Amino acid sequence: MDSEESISKLLRLKRYEQPRPDYFEDFLAEFQLRQRAEVIHRPFWNIAWDRFSSLFSPLPSMRLVAASSFAAAVIATGVTLNWSSQEAKTSPATWNLSSAAQTRLESAPSPFTAPKKRVSSLQYVLPTRPTGYASARSF
Amino acid sequence: MDTPETPDSELVSRTQAGDARAFDELVVRFSPRLYGLVYNMTASHEDTNDLLQDIFAKAYRSIKGFQGKSAFYTWMHTIAVNMTINFLKKRNRRKTMSLDDVDSGILSDPDFIKATSHGDPSQDANLVELQKKLNESMLKLSHEHRAVVTMFDIQGMPHAEIAKILKISEGTVRSRLFYAHRQLQNHLQEFMKH
Repeated sequence: MDSEESISKLLRLKRYEQPRPDYFEDFLAEFQLRQRAEVIHRPFWNIAWDRFSSLFSPLPSMRLVAASSFAAAVIATGVTLNWSSQEAKTSPATWNLSSAAQTRLESAPSPFTAPKKRVSSLQYVLPTRPTGYASARSF
Repeated sequence: MDTPETPDSELVSRTQAGDARAFDELVVRFSPRLYGLVYNMTASHEDTNDLLQDIFAKAYRSIKGFQGKSAFYTWMHTIAVNMTINFLKKRNRRKTMSLDDVDSGILSDPDFIKATSHGDPSQDANLVELQKKLNESMLKLSHEHRAVVTMFDIQGMPHAEIAKILKISEGTVRSRLFYAHRQLQNHLQEFMKH
C-alpha cells in the first residue's frame, strides 16, 4: 500500500475522537451567557471601536484610516476633557464667581418659605377697623 | 417532509440586521466542524472549548464587515485557523493533552483493525496506544503543517478550499501535506507495517 495513503487512513481515525454527546447544546448556552456578560462588562471605547472599524473592515487601507481617525478622536476627547477639568480646578476667576454666586444664593430668602415675623404675628381676631379703610390722616 | 435548511447567507444577513437568534443558528451549525478543527490542532478539550467561544465571539463582533465575497464557511474557518495558530504560538511548548473519548465505532473500522492487528490483542489497549501516538505525532508538526493535515486528512476538505482558508496557493497546500506526511510516517511506523 502507498505510504501516503496509509498515513491518511491512520489520520482519518482521529475523526472518532468526539466530545460528550450533549457538549454542543451546552456550548451554545455558554456562548449566550458569555455574550451577555461581555456586553455588560466591555468598556465603552471597545464597543465603539468595534462598531466603527466594522464599517471599514473590507478594505485594509480604510481600516488604517479608520484606526488613525478613531485614535485621533479619542486623544482629542481626552485632551479636551483634561483641559477643561484642569481649568475648572485652577482658574481663580471661575472659582470666585461661583463661590460668590453660591454665597448670594445662601443668603437670599427663599420665595417658598414664609417670613418668621409674619408667623409670630398671626391674628385670628379682626381689628375693629379694617386697615384698608384707614384714613391717611388718622393717628 | 423536512423543511429545507436556511442558507448560511440568509442567517448572516439576519445577524447583520441585529437578529442574535440567527447567529445562534450559525453557532449550532458550525460548532461541530470548527470544534474538530481546533481540537485536532490543540489536542486539548479545555483549550478547544475556550478558543471556540472566543472564535464565535470574534465572528459575531466582526460579522457586520463580512461582505460575502467568500463563503461564510471559508470566512469562519479562516478566523478559527488564525486564532488557533496565534493561541498555539503563545502556548508555545506546553503540550499537555486532554483528549476526547474515542467513539466505539472505531473498533469495527477496518483501518483501525489493520493498524492495530500487530500488537496487543486487546483492542482497548490498542485504541489508547494509537490515540496517544497519533496525537503526539500531530503535536510534533509545526502549527501550519498541522492545520493543513487537520483540514485535509481528518476533515476531508479539498486542496482548493484549504488554500482559500489559509490564503496560500494550492501548490503550497500540497507541498505542506507532503512534508507533514513524511514527518508523520517516521513517528507512526509501528502502525504502518503491513
